[in-house]
Amino acid sequence: MNIRIKLLPYERFKRDRFKAIVKDLKENTIILIDAKLSMEEELNLIKETMRSITGSFTGIELSSINSIDKKMGNMDKFRNMLVERIIGKKRGMTIIGPAKLVQKIKKNPEELLLYV
Amino acid sequence: MAGKLKRFRDGLRRKIRSIINAMFRKKKDLKIGIYGPVNSGKTTLANRICVDWLGEELGIASVIPHETREIQVKEKITMKADGKSLTFNLIDTPGIATKIDFENFLKYGIKRKDAKQRAKEATKGVIESIKWLDNMDLVMVVLDSTRDPINQVNITILGNLDARDIPLIIVSNKIDLKSSKTGVIRNAFPSYRTIGISAKQGNNMKDLYKSMLDSLK
Repeated sequence: MNIRIKLLPYERFKRDRFKAIVKDLKENTIILIDAKLSMEEELNLIKETMRSITGSFTGIELSSINSIDKKMGNMDKFRNMLVERIIGKKRGMTIIGPAKLVQKIKKNPEELLLYV
Repeated sequence: MAGKLKRFRDGLRRKIRSIINAMFRKKKDLKIGIYGPVNSGKTTLANRICVDWLGEELGIASVIPHETREIQVKEKITMKADGKSLTFNLIDTPGIATKIDFENFLKYGIKRKDAKQRAKEATKGVIESIKWLDNMDLVMVVLDSTRDPINQVNITILGNLDARDIPLIIVSNKIDLKSSKTGVIRNAFPSYRTIGISAKQGNNMKDLYKSMLDSLK
């Protein structure tokens, strides 16, 4: 089985939106986005996934990490939030993979581990 | 500390909202939603509440995933606790998931054709659950206390309720089981109020009812 990994800038994700993402996922592509998706975006991605489920495409595994660590001091948190406001996107990272391919994504606050 | 501050902030926000609602809103029926991942005991909890206050069940609970595939509503439930009373509509929702594989249903002896149909209905159920999210006045997020609570589905549900400013209670279900760990859920989501119950056995339901009343008053 051929596996593709696509590195997707968040700006491109916003432009392509969910149908294009799900189309890629159906073609055994693991997608890495350079930002944490908003809660609304995650929910919309789940909705679009549910609309696309077939016998061969059973859904997705999804996980993301934030750039703001719980252990950070208030000043660092504030600085990170300010940067996010200025650049207009949540920093961090999101991984999305087809469920048939990705067994699980293990998350600890600072890193994501993908089991394929 | 951060959790206490957040609870205080949320409580204040709810108070202000309830005052504004009381001033401007037409009297409408309160909607309490039961949300959560698949097989966490949502329908068992809905049944427990309905039996306790109406004397009849709402739906069929089962160990087979995605037993509830449509939104189920029980109207005009009146609950009383600590001298307070509350009338609401209870909404039991299908479990939210990011994947649904019809082959998983075959393990439970469901025929292939029926399993495919069940999967199709389950996908629609997830979409319906998400659509209903905006209509809720209070949500009880039911988590299975024997499972690891840190997964994307739980984080997405809680995050979306938070973003919509909908009051929520985390219900740590199945505390009657030996492997139950309500403390793990509390540590995972310290900003939210967590009540440990057994919907099946009826353990600690009084605390949950009190918490529901507190959240809406």
